[in-house]
Amino acid sequence: MNADDNTMLVQAKGLSVRYGAKRAVDDVSFNIPKGRVVGLLGHNGAGKTTLMKALVGLATAEGELAVLGLNPRRQRVQLLEQACYIPDVAILPRWARVEDLITMMSALHPRFSAERARALLRRTSVGLSDKVKTLSKGMVVQAHLALIAAIDAKLMILDEPTLGLDVLSRKAFYEMLIDEWCDGERSVLISTHQVEEIESLLSDVLMLNEGKLVLSISLEDMERRFVGVSHDAAVAEQIAAAHPLLRYRTGTGPAGNAAIFDGAPPEHVQALGQRMRPSLVDLFVALTRKPELDRTHF
Amino acid sequence: MQTWDDRQPIYQQLADILAAQLLDGEPSEGAAMPSVRALAGRYLLNPLTVNRALQALGDEGVLENRRGMGLYVTAGARERLRVAERERFLHSEWPRLRERLRRLGIGAEQLNWEAR
Repeated sequence: MNADDNTMLVQAKGLSVRYGAKRAVDDVSFNIPKGRVVGLLGHNGAGKTTLMKALVGLATAEGELAVLGLNPRRQRVQLLEQACYIPDVAILPRWARVEDLITMMSALHPRFSAERARALLRRTSVGLSDKVKTLSKGMVVQAHLALIAAIDAKLMILDEPTLGLDVLSRKAFYEMLIDEWCDGERSVLISTHQVEEIESLLSDVLMLNEGKLVLSISLEDMERRFVGVSHDAAVAEQIAAAHPLLRYRTGTGPAGNAAIFDGAPPEHVQALGQRMRPSLVDLFVALTRKPELDRTHF
Repeated sequence: MQTWDDRQPIYQQLADILAAQLLDGEPSEGAAMPSVRALAGRYLLNPLTVNRALQALGDEGVLENRRGMGLYVTAGARERLRVAERERFLHSEWPRLRERLRRLGIGAEQLNWEAR
């Protein structure tokens, strides 16, 4: 992600958020250009929610931060006209009918289109006269996305939107997001623990570990930079000697073992096995593991 | 959900899926390809990945960009794909298959060449 002021929706430099003595977000720098789908990955407590809150002005941050060119803390109202946010604790009022929510949003948000919200809801099984309390968890999240995606904004921030949903609901959610939101101009920042399932949707990834940004890269560059090698157990020691980021058992394929290198390993090491695409989830494990969970010693 | 393997980049796997569909005449020659967004939604892929796959098929002469109208399947696309597919089979799949047949001691006469 290179820094071109005109196309950057988010610019963060040396960003930290403190809770007392603890730094929940610790000296983080990154940019989000337009037209991207950015995954924010990290274990529980890594600082994902805090970072997202800082981006929409709900947490006080030190360092430089511009979201859509605005200061989120001081220009919050202006910012929320062009940026929408579903927090991890989002709820819709249980007593309301879906059409009440559309009326409410029309009154509250200058860039909300009731017509578009109805069009988006037609994609789902949610009816306009349904009460929120009668909807399944998956339907509530779908309705929430439809309401938020009906705002003509530039940036959407979603904090674990698919948590607790079954696979079909998650699929429907991602479909609507890709189909109705991603137009090459707007961007979305989405946090999740379902790394495997979201990988193919992403254009970029931000990885947090204990408040620190351990990786900020486009998926295209990730495939170039990190090299996976699948190999037999017989050459495991030679692979280990080349200092991979991570070694693990794949459980599939004839080779059964794999290693990930940061940068291409020497020719003679690559020749020990077969090159493979390093998956995001393996990289996630490699870069955010705790010492006691070290998978290199098995 | 569509699953993607670790052997090849995802865009290449999508290009292979689309090529297989084009070989089956879906969409037919001269017809429009589905839009990037439609494909991204169908396969749950980032639009950039879909673009790379379509770019790869364009480089193979299977798709062409009609100014302002999007991507279309070229005349002769199926023949091109068939030639490329045959090449791939003869050069990479067949040697492995032949090796396996040899190991298992299976000769040509033991194989059923008639479609059931």
